[in-house]
Amino acid sequence: MSDCRHIGKARPRPDAADKAAGRTLYINDLIRPGMLHGKVKFSEHAHARIVRIDTSRAERLPGVRAVVTAYDTPEIRIGFLNDNFALKRDKVRQFRDEVAAVAAIDPDIAAEAVDLIDVEYEPLPGVFTLDEAMAQGAPLVHEMDARGNPLTTNELSLRYGHESGDLAVAERASAHVVEGRFSTQLMQQSCLGTAGCLAELDMSGNLSIWARTQIPFLAQRDFTQALRALGLPGRNCRVIVPALGGTFGTGLDTHAYEYIAIVLAHRTNRPVKILYNREEEFANLSPRQSAEVEIAQGCDREGRLTFRRVRVRQDNGAYGSWGATFPTVMLLPVTSLYRVPNVSFDARLVYTNNTYCQAMRGYGNPEVTWPIESNLDELAEAASIDPFELRMRNCNEPGETTPMGLQVTTCGLKECMEATAAKLDWGAERRARRGVGMASLIHVGGSGRIYRSDGGGVILKFDDFGQINVSYGGVEMGQGLHSALSLTVAEALGVSPDKVTINPTDTGTCPWDVGTHASRGAFIACNAALAAAEKARAQIFAAAEEVFPRLALQNLERYCVQHPDYRAPTFDLAAAVKADRFELADGQIVLRDAPAEPWLKVDLDRLLRAIHFRGSRGEVITASAFYEPQSDLPDWQKGVGNMSATYAYGAQGAEVEVDEETGEVRIVRMVAAHDVGKVLNPQTLAGQAYGGLTQGVGYALYEEILTEQGRILNPSFTDYKIPTIREMSFPVHLEFIETDDPAGPFGAKGVGEPGLVPTAPAIANAIYDAVGVRIRDLPITPEKVLRALDARRAASAGKQTSTP
Amino acid sequence: MSRECTLDVNGSLTTLQVAPSARLIDVLRDNLGLTGTKEGCGNGECGSCTVLLEGRPVNACLLIALEVEGRAITTIEGLLGPGGKLSPVQQAFVEAGGIQCGFCTPGMIMSATALLEANPAPTDAEIRDALVGNLCRCTGYTQIIESVRAAAVRLGTGDRPEAPR
Amino acid sequence: MTPFDYHRPETLAEAFRIAGEIPGARYVAGGTDVLVRIRSGRERPNALISLGRIDTLARLELGSVTRIGARATIGQVLDHPELTSAYPLLAQAARPFGSTQVRNLATVGGNLCNASPAADMAPVLLALDARVEIEGPQGTREVPLDAFFKGPGQTDLAPREVLTTIVLEPPGPDARSCFLRKSRVGMDIALTSVAAHLQLADDRLTRVRIAAGAVAPCPLRLRAVEDLLEGRTVEPGLLDEAARLAASEIAPITDIRASANYRRRLTRTLVRRAVAAACEESR
Repeated sequence: MSDCRHIGKARPRPDAADKAAGRTLYINDLIRPGMLHGKVKFSEHAHARIVRIDTSRAERLPGVRAVVTAYDTPEIRIGFLNDNFALKRDKVRQFRDEVAAVAAIDPDIAAEAVDLIDVEYEPLPGVFTLDEAMAQGAPLVHEMDARGNPLTTNELSLRYGHESGDLAVAERASAHVVEGRFSTQLMQQSCLGTAGCLAELDMSGNLSIWARTQIPFLAQRDFTQALRALGLPGRNCRVIVPALGGTFGTGLDTHAYEYIAIVLAHRTNRPVKILYNREEEFANLSPRQSAEVEIAQGCDREGRLTFRRVRVRQDNGAYGSWGATFPTVMLLPVTSLYRVPNVSFDARLVYTNNTYCQAMRGYGNPEVTWPIESNLDELAEAASIDPFELRMRNCNEPGETTPMGLQVTTCGLKECMEATAAKLDWGAERRARRGVGMASLIHVGGSGRIYRSDGGGVILKFDDFGQINVSYGGVEMGQGLHSALSLTVAEALGVSPDKVTINPTDTGTCPWDVGTHASRGAFIACNAALAAAEKARAQIFAAAEEVFPRLALQNLERYCVQHPDYRAPTFDLAAAVKADRFELADGQIVLRDAPAEPWLKVDLDRLLRAIHFRGSRGEVITASAFYEPQSDLPDWQKGVGNMSATYAYGAQGAEVEVDEETGEVRIVRMVAAHDVGKVLNPQTLAGQAYGGLTQGVGYALYEEILTEQGRILNPSFTDYKIPTIREMSFPVHLEFIETDDPAGPFGAKGVGEPGLVPTAPAIANAIYDAVGVRIRDLPITPEKVLRALDARRAASAGKQTSTP
Repeated sequence: MSRECTLDVNGSLTTLQVAPSARLIDVLRDNLGLTGTKEGCGNGECGSCTVLLEGRPVNACLLIALEVEGRAITTIEGLLGPGGKLSPVQQAFVEAGGIQCGFCTPGMIMSATALLEANPAPTDAEIRDALVGNLCRCTGYTQIIESVRAAAVRLGTGDRPEAPR
Repeated sequence: MTPFDYHRPETLAEAFRIAGEIPGARYVAGGTDVLVRIRSGRERPNALISLGRIDTLARLELGSVTRIGARATIGQVLDHPELTSAYPLLAQAARPFGSTQVRNLATVGGNLCNASPAADMAPVLLALDARVEIEGPQGTREVPLDAFFKGPGQTDLAPREVLTTIVLEPPGPDARSCFLRKSRVGMDIALTSVAAHLQLADDRLTRVRIAAGAVAPCPLRLRAVEDLLEGRTVEPGLLDEAARLAASEIAPITDIRASANYRRRLTRTLVRRAVAAACEESR
């Protein structure tokens, strides 16, 4: 599709004007008549027995309408491992455990009531590091699994691995081998809009819940189970997604507060809203999971990779959520970033009494791309090969099948790396204390199958005015999904994007979708929309066979009145009117291979009315399609399976300057080159690339949730530092490589996450190039850089003194 | 315990009963229904609640409503021109891609509006200084800077509204 | 937020009276620190007495001495060309202070009265030999700023007293200065800050004032460094010695923002750089 009217052209996103005017409604802004405000009482211990909960003082506070605990409500299990509970009974396992909740007529009363709940605890010894948790005889976070079988270890039973080739042989045959240990931190998604939900039950027990979620339909399934637990089996659950003030992964699971809101709404017969403030958001939501990684890579004399061994240990925190599935995405770069014939991967996850963890942009990928790409620079140095050259020699190519079984259809990695090196003036002389570094990425570009259906549906509804309303079950969370979707529908149906309206996401009206994750939103939605548009066109064209001639002749009559001298060309209209000769363009229906006479074009709205208002044969056009990408659900223990319909590639580079007296790293400029398949809207695409890269800068240099014995020490923007506009005072050069992927809508791949993925290793490699120190644990704070510089200075001083 | 208070918001006076400890952001959102002003942190760190107090940007979460009685307050809703038209700064953010999730946007636009009022042709460094108190998690700020630059051009070419009060 | 009453006196006398009548009330000026502390529950006053309507507290006067009303906002200081050209240090400290929004609310006096070890205006005012005027029901008194800080969050103010004015002597004939500050990101609490103010006479340093923030329980003058530099000519060895001495004069702590050791290192570097930059500053 080279001659697109809308695709590929910059256009403001459809929701921009309302957002600029402050008109957009987020969960923070929603109010329902009679609504109560819920508030959660959290644990005061990381690990303790609950001895007694006294809610009597809270219940007596005027304005309080309900106080609930696990002891007076049905058990609701949550999480994909069923190891978590909406309200905790008998024991708390982390500081953020929910022990009670209240509903009151205003938020201040709710907060006061929570303070009046007395909980008596019997503290238990906790485990707060991987080593503590894995030690013999360590206190158990969970004494039994969800089925009631006793547990003897804190290690999760989930298994992830991969073995291909013969690692031992490959390692022995390698000319160079470099090993290293790397770690990453807890990172908070830091959405500007805080978390919340609003739950309401009707008199039949049907639930409506407005939720900050990325997974309306999986949430619907979870909440439906909660309704069953509340004695409301078979009731309808409707999940409605308001405007989202960012999510970045935090909306990928359901949360205890949502179930608590449902319980409170059920108890009070009133709508109940729970809204977290910033401190609650930091302390009581699941951050991106941390990781400890041991890596070894080898190459031959020519710099061709011989093997890669990666061992991961992750602190899962107290309960299972999607953090526990990070290794599913780690498998991609571990097995398939650059061509590496022999790969060994193993990941272990351990329960601790720390906060439990969740997804964030990149989902496990940055956690291993960081060590792979840092270690690769070390390997290049060992082999005396330029790091860019080493990468190019091992570059992935179209058509290859990787050790994981990923079938690479299109791959622009080579072009991405070349663009990155060129824009950084790779190899140029630089002044002292400046250096450059680069890193690459592979990510799912055609959704990522982690569930037995990885699809999504779209409904197109045409009205009598030529407006097209689109229903899709994934979510717009700021990334620009609705922009891509409206442009796609407009392009496919030959109408202006102004004629396309994307409906609010609502499980009651939208077809099923697995959720907006894995950079899949636009890929799935636009593919489904294209299929639905094809059906709509077929319906419209079939009906047009009947109504078009009449409308065209009416046009002609009118035209002749206006142009008395007009002589119509000889044209057999009746013979020409065939469904397969119609086209939609510029808001009109036209006939292919017909004279370009104005009366032979009929406005779409007029045509739709004619189709509608024709007696008993009248119809209104709606079309729906469900798109299921071609991919396999991998075997996670073997680490094999073609999990995506296509793969996204990219490379990013940084030039930095290091202050050797303070350890500060100043980024001079960055480059991001991405294989995006096809640019749908350059403006929103750039927004994704800039935004992902900036979160990557935060991950690399500034951001970290700090904990002490399970307690989060910096639950505010005062001390959890995301990049401000001042940190981003360097130029970022973007380069988009179009590889026209056959599976993508118009050839496009997913683009949401990649910008974050290679940023940290690119910066770390540049720091090494600048001042010769390698930092192996994120974030790279000035203090760590200075310590490393000191160590290097001490070592070289030692060498000098020992030299005779 | 509540007090009568007359607030001057977006050029209109409203007399209402407020709790003495009510913050300006609470009164704007809960009493006046001006929900364009967002609460992102409550501590003056994120700037989502930025409003103009006599033309200068301030954090509405750090102001007690009674403190600003009688002083002119402008919120994002007050920037709209006649007929509900977006202001040049708002329009520039729309067209230059300075908006993603939109939660920081009202505060960002208020800060940008005040900047351009005081300094019609700011350098990028001056734009950064003016917006350092407005956190954005989506955009990486590049297109926000481009939006402010575009707004400066719009304002400089006669598309200038009445000065916010 | 725990509810509280709110008073808006128009004179200091009225403020003193209210403070006398309501035990548990506290004064508030810009509110950028006080309201954050109340919201977090670290402070639970039953009433706030706003100084916002006492306009005499917001005056800025340059004359034989400079008088900065305690309730002048940081933004007002920054926007006052005569003040910032007479005392470039004030602008250097005010420019990175919080954000535009915070600078429009936060006051110079409030920054001092909160007595944060990291208070951004403190090092520059210490280096400028500032004095503060304090008024209470019993009358008015004046104390040097470095006697005003008593510990983290603690000042020389007696109950009901108000800091009204910061008094500065005119800058010397060949005064030079530099303020340096390090933080993790923009809009952040200082990890360490250093202000240097001095005069150069025939290449010799005189009237040397060096102050540091966030490296001791209170913002402090580095008197041993000052004594070392006084009367000397600038040379690299001297600055290195000053830097080492600075590190021995401070008592930084380790917190979530940085370690004591790192703050010590930063102080050394910043003292050396600040004195060097002040000397090189062309007037």
